[in-house]
Amino acid sequence: MVEAQDVYIVPNFISEGYFTAKVIPRELELAGVTTIKDHRTLKYCEPVGNDPRMTDLLLHRAAEVAGDAPPEKTSVVIVAHGTGLNENSAVAAKRQVTAIRDRGIYPEVVAAFMEEEPEISQWANLTTQPYVVVVPFFISDGLHSYQDIPVLLGIQSENSSPASQQEVFRHNPYELHDRKLYYAGAVGTDPMMADIILDTVERFDQEHD
Amino acid sequence: MIEELLQERLRTGSISLGELVIRQAEPASYLIRHWQDNQQERKLMVKTEAIAALDIVRYDEQGNYRPLKGAPNLRAGWELRLDSIAEVRQAIDYFYPSAFATWLAYNRSEVTPVDLRQTLTRQTGMYRVTQKLSGSQAEELAGRFCQSRSGCLRTILWTIDGKVPQRYLPRAKFDPQTDQLREHRQANAEDGDAETGPYRIPILCVEACNLFVAEARKIVKVHSK
Repeated sequence: MVEAQDVYIVPNFISEGYFTAKVIPRELELAGVTTIKDHRTLKYCEPVGNDPRMTDLLLHRAAEVAGDAPPEKTSVVIVAHGTGLNENSAVAAKRQVTAIRDRGIYPEVVAAFMEEEPEISQWANLTTQPYVVVVPFFISDGLHSYQDIPVLLGIQSENSSPASQQEVFRHNPYELHDRKLYYAGAVGTDPMMADIILDTVERFDQEHD
Repeated sequence: MIEELLQERLRTGSISLGELVIRQAEPASYLIRHWQDNQQERKLMVKTEAIAALDIVRYDEQGNYRPLKGAPNLRAGWELRLDSIAEVRQAIDYFYPSAFATWLAYNRSEVTPVDLRQTLTRQTGMYRVTQKLSGSQAEELAGRFCQSRSGCLRTILWTIDGKVPQRYLPRAKFDPQTDQLREHRQANAEDGDAETGPYRIPILCVEACNLFVAEARKIVKVHSK
């Protein structure tokens, strides 16, 4: 399929973990960061979630979904999967929270998770501002962003049909706990992902020459 | 290279790949259609970009998601009109990922099928348990899951424990020269050679896919209860 001499492999993943450390190298028969195979060089890059531009993408999503909310009165919640199996997933989200905080646009930025603490179901306790923007730190929309997270946020009941689930992004803002909650789609579906992938490739060259 | 070969092939006639018919209409114009629409005159939804294929392959006629691109349930009623061979190559990769390139590699004797036992032995995490799948369970699964009528149109090149898994599958399933859609075409009363012998490209199955592995896991789990 691929005819070039140099092949950059970019994991379309939020963070390092089981797939990037074990499955991908195994299935692609990689020897490490660089693999020479059949006169070609395979370059194994970091996951897209590690790219500095991911911060811009998260901010872009937040601004896009909460257009009329004043930033100075908005809390931003970055929601990630989290898992008891690998701390990397939470580390990536927490790193983004720090980076977003450093931009000084929002007075309050927190990370919350589906499967570890602090849990996303506690969003109202984790935030204090009248406007709250929730951005899923996920590569694609799916069960988690269409169903699981909306249920945990309280903006959808557990019994909603699959068809209505895809509507969940179209009824912002949600009025809950005396706040206005804005819920964005997964970051991985944004056109900016193309720049992030290319940036990841460029950073590989910078770090490995 | 890949595009040049594709272009050359289309200059001399049409290509049949899975449920697609691909042909050159004019010097720089190519058409891709579902085989059921090839001879018909019904109104087709025309698209002019390869990326439109992504929407065509995602769901079947009933609106169900299609995780297996080789399944014989590609919906019909559309036509792709593309103005470059690069677009054609991209489009057929959306329909049948890597099928054309694998065919070229096969013709250069560069394809090494992977025995199912090797595939299963590699698995870790939740799929590690598939290592317990017995040879006869594997044959049964292949017979059910991989058959061309309603499962998958691929031509199987792999073996199970060194043997061709032909207990429940016809010999034709392993033959790259056989049109895996033959029964479908006969059922549709289509004259298979209506066009002057389209060049048939098989979709080769070099190794059992993850969907097969996922099914294998279910079997092992059920039997261990």
